This record gives sequence, structure tokens and C-alpha cells, in this order.
Amino acid sequence: MAASNMKDIKRRIKSIESTMQITKAMQLVASSKLRKAKERADNARLFFDTLYETMCEISKNAPEFSSVYTKKREIRTVLMIVIAGDRGLAGGFNSNILKLAYRRAKEISETGKTVEIVAIGKKSVEYFEKREFTVRAKYSEIAEGMDIYDASDIVDTIMGHYSNGLCDSIELFYTSFLNTLTQEPKSYVLLPLEVDKNRHDGKATSLTEYEPSAEAVFDSIVPRYISGILFGAVVDSFAAEQAARRTAMESASDNAGEIIGELQLVYNRARQASITQEITEIVGGAQVQN
Amino acid sequence: MSATFRLKVITPQKLFFDDETENVIVRTTVGDVGILAKHIDYVAVLPAGPLKVKMKDNTFRVAAVSSGTLKVSKEGVVILATAVEWADEIDVEHAKRSEEDAREKIKIHKSGVEFDRAQLKLKRALNRLSVSKNR
Repeated sequence: MAASNMKDIKRRIKSIESTMQITKAMQLVASSKLRKAKERADNARLFFDTLYETMCEISKNAPEFSSVYTKKREIRTVLMIVIAGDRGLAGGFNSNILKLAYRRAKEISETGKTVEIVAIGKKSVEYFEKREFTVRAKYSEIAEGMDIYDASDIVDTIMGHYSNGLCDSIELFYTSFLNTLTQEPKSYVLLPLEVDKNRHDGKATSLTEYEPSAEAVFDSIVPRYISGILFGAVVDSFAAEQAARRTAMESASDNAGEIIGELQLVYNRARQASITQEITEIVGGAQVQN
Repeated sequence: MSATFRLKVITPQKLFFDDETENVIVRTTVGDVGILAKHIDYVAVLPAGPLKVKMKDNTFRVAAVSSGTLKVSKEGVVILATAVEWADEIDVEHAKRSEEDAREKIKIHKSGVEFDRAQLKLKRALNRLSVSKNR
């Protein structure tokens, strides 16, 4: 009994050790990917902040024009862009953002509006394919090598839908990387555009010249701005995914280490017990002979 | 040395250029524009085209811009572009390949959108090739 028990414990320790090796390796991979992703997210931020500022300035200085992107119309169809990871094993990362998006989708459809989904990331695609909403477009395995042109391609398609009236509002769902321990699922209304006219509190520099015209500049900036946001969101999400995975794998490795320690203790006790028993048996046998 | 102003060239990948300069020449959708210090506030759309920046040694350094926005204000000049490369950093082989690729795509395009995209790609490739001759 004791011998087979010991064998079982040895086997469990072995199996947990190999699991720990995997979780440790994944943790290392995630932290090196995280470093790169963070750098990318930081670099992208400067660009889009400046772009947003320019957009606000234009709309402030030339308030009389109306663009198809800022005009509010009756909302019948809402397009939701949902960004999740391509892989699992990242703690609550995927389920948090998908649940948030799903709740919102339910909420919208209960008010009688149609919901359509653009799924980015394999987990998001898999999730919404099984749900009751139409998936307009799906993109898997693009987050890691994503560049601004990929983002523009996606946005071109979406903007086409918007201009043709196939959808009246666009919402974006992604996970924002706050720091290595916190990632926050976020949602954001992309279109119709809400331009903050009070952002520049300086005097209206209405002497600015626009070429060819303020409207043309604005309309050319908007798609670029949106693809910028999408690019930023994908990059941000990717960084968040790596951070989540790193934390999850770190605690998995810690737990594995703890279990191994406990098992080792149980194993030692079992070993000790079997030795004691053997001695008792030998001593008992010797006594009987005498 | 005449008056200078601050020029920033920003792409989603990095802060490409951030320094004082006397003169910068860019191609906008309505033609080439040269900007000197104390220029009036000005915003323009940039297609794929060359960007010339006057450097400290009074020579012009040329770069290829692929679509962007030019903004001139009191604080300086900001160019926001999807991609910028100095002439001497352009990968000519790669540009040639994307030119061929774009021409191929134009030939076999199935929809208007595909055609537009291929055409833009071709323009970017041709711009890089023409700028790369300025090294």
C-alpha cells in the first residue's frame, strides 16, 4: 500500500514539474512580447494624439461645415468591432472583453436595433460565430504583425458600410493596457464622431488656411484617424493580452511550485512511514524467534 | 543663417524627425509647397510624394512620404504620415517588388476597392523609387 502510494506521488510530482516548465516558458515568452508590444503602443500614441488635436482644431475653426462622419442619423444598425486575443491561457483577458461586448450587444438588440459584429482575434471570431448576431467580417492572427496598412484595409471596409448606410453607428471594444498588473476592457463610440470642441481653449485661429478646403482636409483625416484608433486598439489589446498571460502564467508557476512542495512533504512522510513499518516488522519477527 | 522653425515628422511607428530647420518643401494635393519660418497657419493633405528638409549644413535631405497631413501653426510644423523613409534608407529591391505586385493586382482586380488599393500601392512604390534616386 505504502509503496504504490509513493509511486503515485512521484508520478504526480513529475507531471506537475513538466506543466511548470511549460507555464514558465510561456511566462518568459509573454514578457518579451510584452516589452515589444508596449513600445509599439507608446510610439503609436503620439501620432494619434496629434491627429486628434488637428481634427478638433479644424472642426472648431470651421464650425459651419457638416461632414458625413459627424452628422447624427437615426440608429438602426450598430456595428461592433470586438478585439480579443488569438490564444487562450491568459487569465480572464478574453472572457472579460467578450462578456462586456456580449452584454452590450444584448442591450442594443433589446431596444429593437440590429447588431453586427466585426471580430478581430481568433477567440473573438470563435465566440461570436456561436452567438445569435451576424458576423460581418472576421480577422484572425493579425494582431502581432499588424501595421497601419492592415488597419486601413479593415477601416476602409467599415467606412464603406457606414457611408452606404449599412450601419449607423460604430462601437469599438478592446482591452486597454494600464500597467503590467491591470488591463481594463473598454468600449468606445467611433462613429458618428464626437469632436470635443472645447479641447483647444485658445483663441479660434480662424485665419488658418486649408488646402483644398477645411471639409476636404477633415474628410481625409477622419478615415486615417479611425484606422489610427483601430491600430492603436489592436496594439494596446495585444500588449494587454501579453501582460495578462504573463501574470496568469506567473501565478500558475507559483501554484505548481507550491503543490510540488506539499507533495514532496507527503512523499517524505509516506517514505518515513514505510521505513518505520519495515523496522517494526523486522523487530517483531526477531522477537517472535527469540 | 535665416530664421528657423521646429519641424516634427510623426508616423505611427516612431517620431521620425524633430529638429529646427529653415525650410521644408512638401508635395500637397494641390502642388509643391515650401514652408519658411513665420508661415501663416496652414493645413493641407499630402498624397504620396517627396519631402525635402533643409539640414544644418544647408543641403536638402529628401524623404519619401506616403500620404499624410501637414499642419503649420505658431508652435511649428507637424507632418503626420503613415510612413516616411529617408532616400538613402529606402529598400529599392522591396519597392520594385511592391511595384510589380501592385501592377499585377491592377491587372487582375475584381472590384473597385481592390483597384483603388492597388493603385495607391503603386503610387507609394513609384514615389519611393523616384525619391530613392536622390540619395
